Amino acid sequence: MQSFICPFCSLLCDDIRLEIKNNSFVPLNSNCLILKKSLKRKIKDHFPRIKGKKTTMSIAIEELAKLIKKSKSILFAGMGTDTKGTKVSLDILDKFGGTIDHFSGDSYSKNLKSIQEIGGVYITLAELKNRCDTIIIIETTDQTVPRLFEKYIFPKETINKIKKRKIVYIGSKKPQFLLKNKNRFAFNSIYLNSQNLLNLISQLRQKINNNSLDSTKDKNLTFLFKLLKNTNYGSIILSASELDKDLCDLIINEINLLIQDLNKFTRFAGMFLSGIHHLVTVNEVLLWQTGFPIRTNFSKGYPRHNIDQFSTTRLLAKKEVDLVVWIDSFHEEKITFKKNIKSVLLGIPTHPQKKNADIFIPLGTPGLDHNSHLFRVDKVVSMHLKKIRNISLPSVFEVLSKVKERI
Amino acid sequence: MIVRIKNAKVYDPTNKVDGRIKDIFIKDGKIIKRPNPKEKISQVINLKNKIVMPGGIDIHSHIAGGKVNLARLLLPEEHRKYLYSSTNNLRSGSGLGTCTSFHIGYKYAKLGYTAVFEPASLPANARSTIIEMSDIPLIDKGCYTVLGNDDFLLNLIQKKTSQKKINDYVAWILTSTKGLGIKIVNPGGINAFKFNQRELDLDAKNKKYGITPRSILKILTKSLIDLKAPHPIHVHGCNLGVPGNVKTTLKQISAVEGKPMHLTHIQYHSYSNEGDRNFSSGAAILAESINKNKNISCDIGQVMFGQTVTTSADTMSQYRNHSFAHPKKWICADLECEAGCGIIPFEYRDKNYVNALQWAIGLELFLLIKDPWRVYLTTDHPNGAAFTAYPRLIKLLMDRSFRNEELEKINKDSQNNSILKSLKREYSLYEIAILTRSGPAKILGLNNIGHLGEGAKADITVYTEHQDKEKMFENPFLVFKDGQIIVKNGTIKKVINGKLYIAEAEYDQSIKKEISIYFEKYIGRKMSSFEIQNQELWDHGLELEQIRCSRNDY
Repeated sequence: MQSFICPFCSLLCDDIRLEIKNNSFVPLNSNCLILKKSLKRKIKDHFPRIKGKKTTMSIAIEELAKLIKKSKSILFAGMGTDTKGTKVSLDILDKFGGTIDHFSGDSYSKNLKSIQEIGGVYITLAELKNRCDTIIIIETTDQTVPRLFEKYIFPKETINKIKKRKIVYIGSKKPQFLLKNKNRFAFNSIYLNSQNLLNLISQLRQKINNNSLDSTKDKNLTFLFKLLKNTNYGSIILSASELDKDLCDLIINEINLLIQDLNKFTRFAGMFLSGIHHLVTVNEVLLWQTGFPIRTNFSKGYPRHNIDQFSTTRLLAKKEVDLVVWIDSFHEEKITFKKNIKSVLLGIPTHPQKKNADIFIPLGTPGLDHNSHLFRVDKVVSMHLKKIRNISLPSVFEVLSKVKERI
Repeated sequence: MIVRIKNAKVYDPTNKVDGRIKDIFIKDGKIIKRPNPKEKISQVINLKNKIVMPGGIDIHSHIAGGKVNLARLLLPEEHRKYLYSSTNNLRSGSGLGTCTSFHIGYKYAKLGYTAVFEPASLPANARSTIIEMSDIPLIDKGCYTVLGNDDFLLNLIQKKTSQKKINDYVAWILTSTKGLGIKIVNPGGINAFKFNQRELDLDAKNKKYGITPRSILKILTKSLIDLKAPHPIHVHGCNLGVPGNVKTTLKQISAVEGKPMHLTHIQYHSYSNEGDRNFSSGAAILAESINKNKNISCDIGQVMFGQTVTTSADTMSQYRNHSFAHPKKWICADLECEAGCGIIPFEYRDKNYVNALQWAIGLELFLLIKDPWRVYLTTDHPNGAAFTAYPRLIKLLMDRSFRNEELEKINKDSQNNSILKSLKREYSLYEIAILTRSGPAKILGLNNIGHLGEGAKADITVYTEHQDKEKMFENPFLVFKDGQIIVKNGTIKKVINGKLYIAEAEYDQSIKKEISIYFEKYIGRKMSSFEIQNQELWDHGLELEQIRCSRNDY
């Protein structure tokens, strides 16, 4: 039996126990689908590859160093890595120019715009668990952070001794993960699409700021108004990736403003989820080293940040880069190849596209194959994960440090 | 290898050297008395007409941690305004008040500072803060762990738990978060704000626990004394920024009944509420109390005019002040049943009555507190101003005519409501060396920095004497860190890493059983994953300097 801090989503559950059988790991006390799926991957080979053909690690590293030296415009994409992997990536970009983005860049950039424009009021997981008598869950599923709900939203005991938490789901799909636990809290749901959600939040803000429902007959509005007026500490959980792309930033702005409005008379905070590839970890290192979040470029010798200009999708579509280094040390995220743009994949050995990349270098997973630091979804807590598996798979830090030595 | 520094005019207050010409010998990064006659001196540095002081020490500067990163996230415009290119040996970066990690190290070193202490490391965020610090080169660092609003401690106090058990908890948190000291921020107030209390004076009760800030302050003050911690309790008091708060600050001083306490950024806690505008200086009465109470040390948190950003764990105060945000955006967060975080960008304007008076109050405090060993130079970076304003601040303290010229420029009502013009005191170089070196080292319980005696680290700053003290202090001629020249004539010569100072405390480990249950039941994680191990910090290239809790002058 092995205790384990799970690196496969940004909850970083540290209560996992694993059974070890023939170098494979089976979770004993968790039904988390992401964990199960991740541990089930069978590594058949872990050869580095050049254009699909097996090669040695030193040749692959040599080739990557050559590509970086030759490149006029590099993109570090995906960035599924830990603190040290981010540090070494930034070290290379700082010397050779290029751009850094992340798998979750598109959805996160909507949150980012709102923060940069108006700020926000936030909460960490332990506060969410212990303080909130009311939690509004907007267009969020249990897919990206599966155990968030069991651990922090349906707890048995809380510091504030909350008897029956009020949970409201607002979204377009039926939340089965909430419905099956319905008896554990006071549950209400409002089904609507993103356009109507935006309208609802805007109207709610207006009613809250006027401190009056006026003569509204809207049941949802009336219900939410009364609920919020009687909340002692509430929270809104939101997953930007589930919202309508065109309205996402407007909705997030309205929600941030609503939370600010509510704090005039009660306590309220938001928690915005950010996907499974540890965007928060990458972003935190970026912020302290460069002053900017993802989508930052170093080609002028200093950091330049632009949410739109430096998106992976745009840079690839416009062919503004000649080399993409995809980094994915946790999962098997589908990556994009473009004609005339060299593609390097630093990925786990089971990555299905490993033969399609110009260079493939197999990686270990942080907290499985090497010690690592990762940040939790709420940005505040970071965990030290320890190696538990003995396959000689290197970390992003080890690979890119060797590349750095050769350039 | 032995280096001899000769002919320099040395200011080393710890060793009572006041501008005497003397030699300094460096061996293996440390200062030695004199070399053995058989030992060869490999380098002689002639510093005729130069001034030598120990490396500067900043006792209170927000250089790392989640709050600083949130401020960076909030303010891309500040980072676009201040951009730094990479060079052969230096990394790129950006920002001023929320300057990026590498450049915090470069900038401090270029000002002659070699040790800086992050004063608000939230326990849950301590690991991240320290990893971030591993990217601050050239200077030694340390953190004060924030306590006094965590539900675990408040519950212990509510249950009237023994002081011994509380000491065990404090020692556990200090060691497991790798702190050097413990800081209280608005005792009980941040927690009370989570229960929608908008103010909490020293004797008001927290709604949830029914305990007062006074009781928290007293208990934690005693804890650090009982533990013989290197640094006494570091206190950001109640009612920050509130007109009339000087009364609370005075009550806080009497609340600790003569026990050692460090009051931080007292400028923000020195306001009276007299006059037409209900805002006036309380500096004189506070300085009088500090002069009388020898157990109190303080730093000022001087305001300097211009745009900055305020970052604080004191969500209650930050939320109260959010309407002053400039530009109009702000962040507040409640964190891990421990404390909180508030980020308010702010512009201090010399024509604004309140801002101008804040500036004058800070200077009044500097000039009215008589003992330089108990007052330290800070701007509460970046809250009052970025630390890069220190040379100008030193000039304000050392040059009365300059000070009065600056006073003439500020809001007229503020001028009229300040006694600054009548204060004739001008700090000497010796006193500045106390404020910025010897004093902070002494109160932090660090014996190997802040002086140039035998055994000290060879952290040395060499200045060229100049009539204009701002010019003198903003551009040291040489800076040594651990005996190596890191800065020469304003240019970084070598990039090396400083160390992380941490306190080592002994305690009854049985407290961990209760903490462990609390973590799993309420915090939703394991105590073991909370505790920071030395190895993980070494993995990030950090060297640790462990300071045993054995202070014997409390």
